[in-house]
Amino acid sequence: MLQAHSFLWHYLWVAPNVVLLFLSFLLWKRGLREQFPVFFALALLTSLGHLAVYTADIAPMVSAENFWRTNWTSLVVEGLLKFALVAEIFAHAFGSYASVARLGKRLIRGVGVALVLAAALAAAYTPQDGLFGIVSGAHILERTIYLIAAGLLLFIFLFSRYFNLQLDRRTFGIALGLSVSACVHLATWAIMANGKVPNSVRHDLDFLNMGTYHLCVLIWFYYLLVPERMRKYPPMNPPPHPLAGVPSEEDLDALNQEMERLLHR
Amino acid sequence: MTLAIFLVVVAALALLLIFRAALTRNLQISAKVSLAAQIQPIDVAAFRNLIDPGENAYLRHRLPASEFRSVQRERLRATACYVQTAGRNAAVLIRMGQNALMSNDVRTADAARQLVDNALLLRRNTTFVLFRIYVAMAWPNSGRIGAPLMQNPVLQDYERLNGTAMLLGRLQNPATPLRISATI
Repeated sequence: MLQAHSFLWHYLWVAPNVVLLFLSFLLWKRGLREQFPVFFALALLTSLGHLAVYTADIAPMVSAENFWRTNWTSLVVEGLLKFALVAEIFAHAFGSYASVARLGKRLIRGVGVALVLAAALAAAYTPQDGLFGIVSGAHILERTIYLIAAGLLLFIFLFSRYFNLQLDRRTFGIALGLSVSACVHLATWAIMANGKVPNSVRHDLDFLNMGTYHLCVLIWFYYLLVPERMRKYPPMNPPPHPLAGVPSEEDLDALNQEMERLLHR
Repeated sequence: MTLAIFLVVVAALALLLIFRAALTRNLQISAKVSLAAQIQPIDVAAFRNLIDPGENAYLRHRLPASEFRSVQRERLRATACYVQTAGRNAAVLIRMGQNALMSNDVRTADAARQLVDNALLLRRNTTFVLFRIYVAMAWPNSGRIGAPLMQNPVLQDYERLNGTAMLLGRLQNPATPLRISATI
């Protein structure tokens, strides 16, 4: 069952991309394209790119070299869009809060630079796998993209957790799907880029990658299109006033003044 | 293969942390516990006394150096506790403000946004202050600790707090105002 060109293999390569293409159509129809332009572009171009690579794989007239060229093109476009999507997630999460947006930008730039250096080091120390350069290069590029993306997304989750900031449902869904994809793919490509891996293991890891991608597309579908359940309150207990229990002006002012004094000491 | 194993472990840890953050988010959404109940009131007068520079100068003048260091460390430890509580309170206020952001009333939503911004600023500043307190704990006798604090660029943003105080007033519920500071 877990063989290349089996029914499951065809399904896992084609179905998630068709679903993602359909999702991008629904985003456009529902006017969500303006809210998440980069995600819309990623959904559209990634699905088309993957389908193009699939076609190149099964079409007998496409040479192996041209297949890998198509794969590389798709990979580069997808990688750039993923980094742009991380920026979009960051903007949605913190952009409207001036007090942490600047600090967050500085920190995420620092984290980004550190991750690029780490990925470059990892690439430099990767042993030769005996495959053609165009093949092993693609593996290393995959790992590099996912290493940086996973690190940046982890930073966004931890930063919002520290400040107790809740990402809105759609942004959270996009970030969750991308994170799951980035972490699992980082692990699988780390193994595959390392060479000396038997073909049977490579096939299993391919299936794991495709299955994870399918799961991520479903996560995006769910969070972007299924509306959030409204919280229900018992009839005798009406929902509280949204600002009930918020502290008084004097309380916050006094605390902030003390903090300022402490910083001035 | 060592590199591959290392990256697999890193990826697994990252995934666990992300799942934990996701789970916390869902639990917080479905939680019925009042956020206001999570606020820990702070005795502002005692806090003010702890960080009073005059008090520090008096203790430095009156106590032998070794005793002053010991007392100063205790005072800094207590200050850190206050600051940590203020930071935790700020985190709760951020969530309260975010909940109010969904209000249909434009004024309420605007005021909530101000509250979130203000509380975020407080949370951020408590982090910086805590860092400085821990540095000061290492050298309690040093008078140089205060100098860099005076030049902290964080304070430029802090000036905005005064302007938002008026808006914050709108956020209080006159019926059951919550106290985040305790008075003696």
